[in-house]
Amino acid sequence: MKPLLGTLYLLGMLVPGGLGYDRSQAQRRQEVVDKTATPWSSLETYPYNRYHPMGEIYQWMSLIREKYPEVVTQHFLGMTYETRPMYYLKISQPSNSPKKIIWMDCGIHAREWIAPAFCQWFVREILQNYQDNSRIRRLLKNLDFYVLPVLNIDGYIYTWTTDRLWRKSRSSHNNGTCFGTDLNQNFNVSWCSIGASKNCSDSTFCGTEPVSEPETKAVSSFIESKKEDVLCFLTIHSYGQLILMPYGYTKNKPSNYKELIQVGQKAANALKAKHGTNYRVGSSIDILYATSGSSRDWARDIGIPFSYTFELRDNGTYGFVLPEAQIQATCEETMAAVLSILDDVYEKYWYSNSAGKVTSTTAVLSLLMSFRSLF
Amino acid sequence: MQPLPQALPAPGPGGPRPAAPLLALLLLLALRGSAAAPAGSEGPQGSAAAPEGPQDSAWQRDSELPHGLLQRAARAALHFFNFRAGSPSALRGLAAVQQGRAWINSKKECQVDLEFTTEHYNPEEGEERLGKCSAQVFFKNEKPRPTINVTCTRFMEKSKRQQEDYLLYKHMKQLKDPLDVISIPDSHGHIDPSLRPIWDLAFLGSSYVMWEKTTQFLHYYMAQLSSVKQWKTDEDAIDFDYTVLLHEFSTQEIIPCRIHLVWHPSKPLKVKYHCQGPQAPEEASGIEEGSAAAPTTGLTNY
Repeated sequence: MKPLLGTLYLLGMLVPGGLGYDRSQAQRRQEVVDKTATPWSSLETYPYNRYHPMGEIYQWMSLIREKYPEVVTQHFLGMTYETRPMYYLKISQPSNSPKKIIWMDCGIHAREWIAPAFCQWFVREILQNYQDNSRIRRLLKNLDFYVLPVLNIDGYIYTWTTDRLWRKSRSSHNNGTCFGTDLNQNFNVSWCSIGASKNCSDSTFCGTEPVSEPETKAVSSFIESKKEDVLCFLTIHSYGQLILMPYGYTKNKPSNYKELIQVGQKAANALKAKHGTNYRVGSSIDILYATSGSSRDWARDIGIPFSYTFELRDNGTYGFVLPEAQIQATCEETMAAVLSILDDVYEKYWYSNSAGKVTSTTAVLSLLMSFRSLF
Repeated sequence: MQPLPQALPAPGPGGPRPAAPLLALLLLLALRGSAAAPAGSEGPQGSAAAPEGPQDSAWQRDSELPHGLLQRAARAALHFFNFRAGSPSALRGLAAVQQGRAWINSKKECQVDLEFTTEHYNPEEGEERLGKCSAQVFFKNEKPRPTINVTCTRFMEKSKRQQEDYLLYKHMKQLKDPLDVISIPDSHGHIDPSLRPIWDLAFLGSSYVMWEKTTQFLHYYMAQLSSVKQWKTDEDAIDFDYTVLLHEFSTQEIIPCRIHLVWHPSKPLKVKYHCQGPQAPEEASGIEEGSAAAPTTGLTNY
């Protein structure tokens, strides 16, 4: 039944002119797909300081792209194991110059609810402020934001319906005796070499092979196809209050390690300035523990220079079950950190004073074009 | 090969010092593989340059300090401290590790000396007080129940703490039967203020369990109180039987534990428990009579 509904839902999204499809129809379908959906008639009343079930997040995406059609488009990434559609939002200021890409995904681990909450917050902040806020406007001149609010949709729904502390996806193994792959150990980078389990009943099960899971495949294929243009890959988790850089699978450091630390530390300082929250910064294997097959490590190894994992609040007091009362403060401080990283990325590639660091021809061309426009 | 052993300040909130290589995995692999001393010195003499370490000459100074180890040791020390203090109104959480050193011996036993700051687990509005602790944590090779010696600065006046505990106790005695409580906190992180004392008491009991289960590789957090099996207040003490979900960080597993505790403000805490899941029988369950083992000297400094 579910696959059929999922397909129907998907078709509903792709019907010609379908990005402005009949919302009431979709609403009905969504309510069947996820009974806990509450219809939000407008974005003005959508509470960003509450956790939302998946049905509401699908709805929110529609509302967002309907309200900001000039800069937002919604795109299909792939299907989950339980055949639910994965969508990302692309925020892009129309322009003649080619753009580079910032990627952000949330909720690769189902129980980390604060992560999807942050992705939604981030989108809202960018869209509400891109016209008046020069800092955000500047970023959007040369950068497109691609935001995947929930990567592990099946798992996320499972934490709402069945087990709040579930981590993995919901793929079936061993004739239905065993469920779920740790999607963040399933990427094709030193897959299952360390820190992961080959046992499907474990929380760190790496899958049956690299990129065995449809969710991982969807993200992988997409990023791979755009990798020349992706400057920054951010993946949002909880908890632990950490900004992590590659690697988890080896103690070797990436070539730009010093720069990553600098940028990360600056972001942690910006974060702390907001509400006093302390974040630690370092490579995953140093600060956390050894793991392999993570999306962050994979992104770095295919050439994306700025690749970070954020582990948001808290430090273990509530852990995964972070109170809603903390959503706002967490999102505000995380926003400060992310914007700090984006500023650094921007200044590295487009700020004329750092001409020595410019490496890509498109960046040089953009510079030339912006100078030309002065005459 | 190894630099001269020195006290490495552990990364504070600002992040790791780039000069200090923190290689948990390498350390563990080196320890597993080598019979020879990984430190620069020859033979079994150990590092003469670290006089604060254990006097036994079989100890090697571990200068490649895996940062995770300090955190795990600090949390173990705090669990032990909270359990021993037996006070649900004065529970402490880890604020930051400030510095630490570790020594390892040929039997792969690991001793960690460290200093860390704490904060009130259940802070009142605007409360910002930090406490300070120093601890010695001794891990037996991958075995649980580390030996702990911990001293903390005064956090709360003793009389105030006793008063708060007694208030909590009275509140608990008046609570209507919370057997229908499904989970604390709920999925959205809410804890009804009237049920907060149950959470605190559950955390106190869980502290004992988490201390016992901690090894140099495994450490625990209390994720959720998942059910209340029994809540008896008709006698003097609070008799509390519940299940809790512990989160183990390195395996990311959720481990259900059944805990039965008996608490009265002026008596030592009694705890029995049994946890599910694959583990050695001696790790799966434990009983502690609060008075059975006397606190080590200098344990608390209220």
